[in-house]
Formats: sequence, structure tokens, C-alpha cells
Amino acid sequence: MALLTLEGISKRYRQGEVEVQALHAIDLTVAEGEFAALVGPSGSGKTTLLNIIGGLDAPSSGQVRLDATELTALSEAALSDFRLFQLGFVFQAYNLVPVLSALENVELVMVLQGRSDHERRARAEHYLELVGLKALMHRRPAALSGGQQQRVAVARALAAGPRLVLADEPTANLDSENAEALLDSMYHLAREERITFLFSTHDPRVMARAERIITLRDGQIVSDQRPHAAATA
Amino acid sequence: MSRPHSHMPLSMLLMLAWRNLWRQRRRTAITLSSIAIGFGLAVLAIGIGDGSHNSMVRNAIQLGEGHLAVQAPGYLEAPANYKFLADGRALQARLTALQVAGAIEPRISLQVLASSANNSSGASLEGMRIDSDPRVAMLQPKLIAGQWLTAADQRGLLMGDGMARRLKVKVGSKVVLMAGKQGGDSQAQLGRVRGIFDSHVDELDDYLILSDLPFARYFLEGEGGVAAQLPVTRFSLFLDDPQGMGYWKGVLRTALADEPVVVLDWHEMMPQLVQFIVIDDVGNYVFLGLILIMVLFGILNTVLMGVLERTREFGLLRALGLGRYQLLLLVLCESLLLSLLAVVIGWAVGGGAHWWFSQHGIDFSALMGGKTAIAGTFMDPVIYTELSAERVIQLTLLIFCVTLASGIYPALKAARVTPVAALRT
Ligand SMILES: Nc1ncnc2c1ncn2[C@@H]1O[C@H](COP(=O)(O)OP(=O)(O)O)[C@@H](O)[C@H]1O
Ligand SMILES: [Mg+2]
Repeated sequence: MALLTLEGISKRYRQGEVEVQALHAIDLTVAEGEFAALVGPSGSGKTTLLNIIGGLDAPSSGQVRLDATELTALSEAALSDFRLFQLGFVFQAYNLVPVLSALENVELVMVLQGRSDHERRARAEHYLELVGLKALMHRRPAALSGGQQQRVAVARALAAGPRLVLADEPTANLDSENAEALLDSMYHLAREERITFLFSTHDPRVMARAERIITLRDGQIVSDQRPHAAATA
Repeated sequence: MSRPHSHMPLSMLLMLAWRNLWRQRRRTAITLSSIAIGFGLAVLAIGIGDGSHNSMVRNAIQLGEGHLAVQAPGYLEAPANYKFLADGRALQARLTALQVAGAIEPRISLQVLASSANNSSGASLEGMRIDSDPRVAMLQPKLIAGQWLTAADQRGLLMGDGMARRLKVKVGSKVVLMAGKQGGDSQAQLGRVRGIFDSHVDELDDYLILSDLPFARYFLEGEGGVAAQLPVTRFSLFLDDPQGMGYWKGVLRTALADEPVVVLDWHEMMPQLVQFIVIDDVGNYVFLGLILIMVLFGILNTVLMGVLERTREFGLLRALGLGRYQLLLLVLCESLLLSLLAVVIGWAVGGGAHWWFSQHGIDFSALMGGKTAIAGTFMDPVIYTELSAERVIQLTLLIFCVTLASGIYPALKAARVTPVAALRT
């Protein structure tokens, strides 16, 4: 059964007199454990789609379901808690709270979830270790490189134990070496933890790591492919 | 519906708020110091106001009718020579038996016409114990000519320089004092000027004539008083502890309920002084209000700038699942910490300044040019700031509420941040 189901998702933005149709009746399912990339040129609707899936934005029409939960039926407060317990987010940049150390950033979401001190600490260290940053975990974001910050964000997303991790161009601000390192981390974690990943990118090297590539153009899905050799990373 | 929901432990809230506060160290430090200085000034202004008022009140009580006065009903509303306490001896005994902590002074107040060889003028004759009355302690040092009265001196008078000038008299001059009787007749006594004082309080210098009790009592005898009963106009009570005024007033009222007397405190005896203090306080409150407005905008500016700079971060936190109200609480908490700090530092500065001036005083004599008389009393030229416990609580609550209130708008602003809009910027 599909973990994520989108049915007829449309999104229109009104900018003064002009109406922009960012998404046209998108239908999509993502199964549990998939490592899928959302690709397409700038302005094709990737961010809009990820925001709607993440419950950050409401579609103009259509439905989003994660398991049995219908996101569009949830109140604002319920959506907030839904994000906290079910979803992980990695954004393009500024993912971390500047006044908290890497470790505290990873723990923050788990604090909000109400997990115990002990569990929090153990999970945070575990995931920071997996992204290779345990040695730097007491540093604040300002003392970490862009790539390191993104890896902390990945550790944070996973440590919270989400059903689905959404990442909007997580490598956009990284050089290719760091971008690949980040993707490696994500991929390993996805495989080990059987976490479902949906990330957007327009970097061909990043795309190459994906098991499934969903291509958007002008707010519509124009192709949905599963390259055979994806599992060799 | 029991879905899992987000928790924000207080420790986390405080930690985040505290660290956020110090993100812009310089800005926070400037805000805090301006609040502290403003608050310090306000504390000082209130301390000077209270100090000068209390000094005026103390002087007015010493110069006037004490903390409490026991006199005939109706005298305050319409003073008249015939409204006196006939059996002063018995009343004095009853008062003494109450063991009031302080001095009890018998006094005789009379409206008289004073005439010299050259001129005549309305005057108020005050008969008092010229050796022990607190008024002596106040006026004796103000003597500018002649001598203070002695107990043996049955005809001696003291008067202010204003009165002496009006009557065109000197030390040694004869003065006839005449008082109208209730029946319509009049009675007169001859006195002699022994000394002239200059208190700088016009109300005293221009109208007051002082004598020993027996001299003044003679007029009461003319009104039907019996000398052996020691009639007086009033008993003035000078309490050792002014705080005990309310208590002693109650005691006296209860104990003297069967006597044809009224017990009045200085508020009732000197309503114009109370009014002056109230009006003067308004000035201080205006100053305090300006300071509070400054504080309000200082904190508003600091916290609001902090909020506007962090829109993106708030969007991120909301995306991660931090609730709207938790974000509101976080920003309120930042204001709360800022106001706590402001109150502590403000008190350190204001309290320190107050302590210094409560010990060393502020010399206003140059400012007032020797003219210290106000509202029928006078202010000491050196004012020692005073701060009561009520003032401390009042000022603390005020500044705390104002600083907290200034955090409301930024907090609402933060709570309105939506993740999508914030993350797109
Ligand atoms: N808040 C908005 N208001 C108006 N138009 C928007 C807004 N957000 C996105 N759009 C428009 O929607 C389209 C899709 O944008 P986006 O989802 O950001 O694409 P991508 O992430 O693929 O670059 C673009 O044409 C963009 O201009
Ligand atoms: Mg985008």
C-alpha cells in the first residue's frame, strides 16, 4: 500500500491581477522506503509540491494522504503536530537554529516530541555519528561548514523518527563533493532505517543516486522513471 | 481526539529565550542600560519627591498642630475663641492615662486684634508651653531680635517679622491684644514684644503672635472658662512614631467618645498641604510616565527587531512542528527575561543612587535661593531621598508590567509567521 497518495493536486497563486497555476492536477503515489527525486527546471513547481505534501501549504484542490491521514482535513494546529511526529524536513539552507549546538539542534525536535532526556541524547548521538559529525556535535551552526550543517539537518530529520523525509534542494548550496557526501548519508540512512525520502534537485549527479525520478514541468508530471542501477551507491 | 502533540518544557523555553536575548549583545546591553538609567532617574525623582514632601510634612507638623489634635467640634470648620475645651485639666489627665507614645501639648488659639502705638492688625495669638512645645524647637533658632520667653514672663510676646513690621514695633514695644467676646463685648490685655522671629513662612511671620499659656488663657476666662480647670483650645499630640498615627487616632476616638471633642489628624487639619503634595506628585508621575514610555519603546524596539530578523528561523521552527502558541510564548519569554534583567539592573542603579542621596542628601538651597517656604510650611534645604516599601513594590510592578506589555506585539508578530512565506524569503 502507498505511504503517500496525492490525488488531483492543483495550486493556483494569485499575484495581483495575474493568476499563476503552479500545479495542475497532480496524481502521485510514493511507497514506503522509496528514495525518490523530484526534478525539473526552476519554477516547475517542485517547492510548491513539497510544501503541500509537508502540510506547510494548502492545495487549491485535491487531496494529500499520508497513510490514513488526510492532510487537507487537519486544522492548523493538528498539521503542526502532524509535521512534528510524522515528517522530517531538510531545507536548502538555514536549517539550524543558530543559538543551539549541532547536538541541541538534533535534540530540539525530540524535545518537542516529549521524548526522555536519555532517549533523545542517545538517538541524537547515533544519527550524528551516522552523518559523521559526532566529533563536532557541540559546535554551533556558525562554526560548521554548509555541508556539515546540511548533514546535521539530515540527522535531525531522521532522529525524530518520521514516516517521510522531505528535502527541497538540500544540495543546492553545496559544492559537488559535499553534495555527494550528503546524498551518500541520506541514501545510507534511507536504506538502513527504511525511511521514505522525497527530495527535489536539479543537479544531475544527485539525480543519479535516486531510485526513482519524477520529472515536473510547468506544474505537471511529465515523466516518472526508475533507473535500474540506482542501488549501487 | 488524543493525537500526540508538541511539548515545550520550561527549561527549553528559558534556554532558547536567554540565548536569543544575547544574540545581539550590544543591542540588548544598550537597551538594558537605557532602561536602567531611566529607571534610576525615576527612582531618584520619586525619592526626592517623597523626601521633600516628608520633610515638609514633618516641619508642618512641628510648626503646626502635631500629628493629632483634640479640639472642640466645629472649630476646624469655623474657628472661634469661644470654642474651647473647658475642662483642660480633666482631659489632660485622661490623655496622659492613655500613655500615648509622644508628647501632649496644650494650646490656646485665638483670633485677636493686635494694636501698637502706630498701627493695628488682625493676628492669631497662640498660647503654648514656651519651654517644651515642639514649636519652640522650630522657631527658637529663627529668632532674629530679642529673647525667647521665660516662664516668669507673664506679659511677654513673640511675633514674626512680618507682623512686627506691620505693627511698626520693636523688641520692648507694648502691644494691646483685643478679642471680641461671644456676647458682643470685647476684652483686652497688654503685652510686650520680647522677641521677633523670621521663619520665612509668610503664613507664620505675618500673623502669628506667641505667648505663654496663662496670658492666652485670660481670654478664655473672659469667655466663661474657669482658670482652675485649665481651659485650652486643643491638645496637640506629637507622636514618637508617625506611622502610629492611625492607631493612636483610633485609640483616642474610642477613649474620648463620651467627651464633646473631635480627634483630627494632620491630613484633616492641613488639607491644603495634602493638596499641594498631591499636585506636586502629579509632576513626578508625569516624569515616571515618560520614563516608562521610553522603557516601553526600548524593549519593543529590541524585541521587535529581534523578531523581524528571525522571520526565517521562526518559519523553520514552525515547519519542524513548533506550535504557534509555543512560538508566541518563546518571544514573550524573551521580553520577560529582558524585563527581569531591566528591573534588577534598574534597581541596582536607582537603588544605588537613592542610597547615596539618602545618606548624603541633595542641597537645594542654591536652587531655592533661601526661599524654602511652600504651602504654609517649609522644605529643608538639603533633601534626603526617601523610598518606602510601598514605593519599591509600586515601581517594580510598574516597570515589570510595562516591559512585559511591550513584548506582546512582537510575540503576536512572531506567532503570525507562516512557514511557507518565511522559508521563501
Ligand atoms: N507565493 C507565491 N506567489 C505567487 N507565485 C508563486 C508563489 N510561490 C511560487 N509561485 C510560482 O509558482 C511556480 C512554481 O514555483 P516553485 O514551486 O517555487 O518552483 P520550483 O521550486 O520548481 O522552482 C512559479 O511560477 C512561481 O513563480
Ligand atoms: Mg524551489
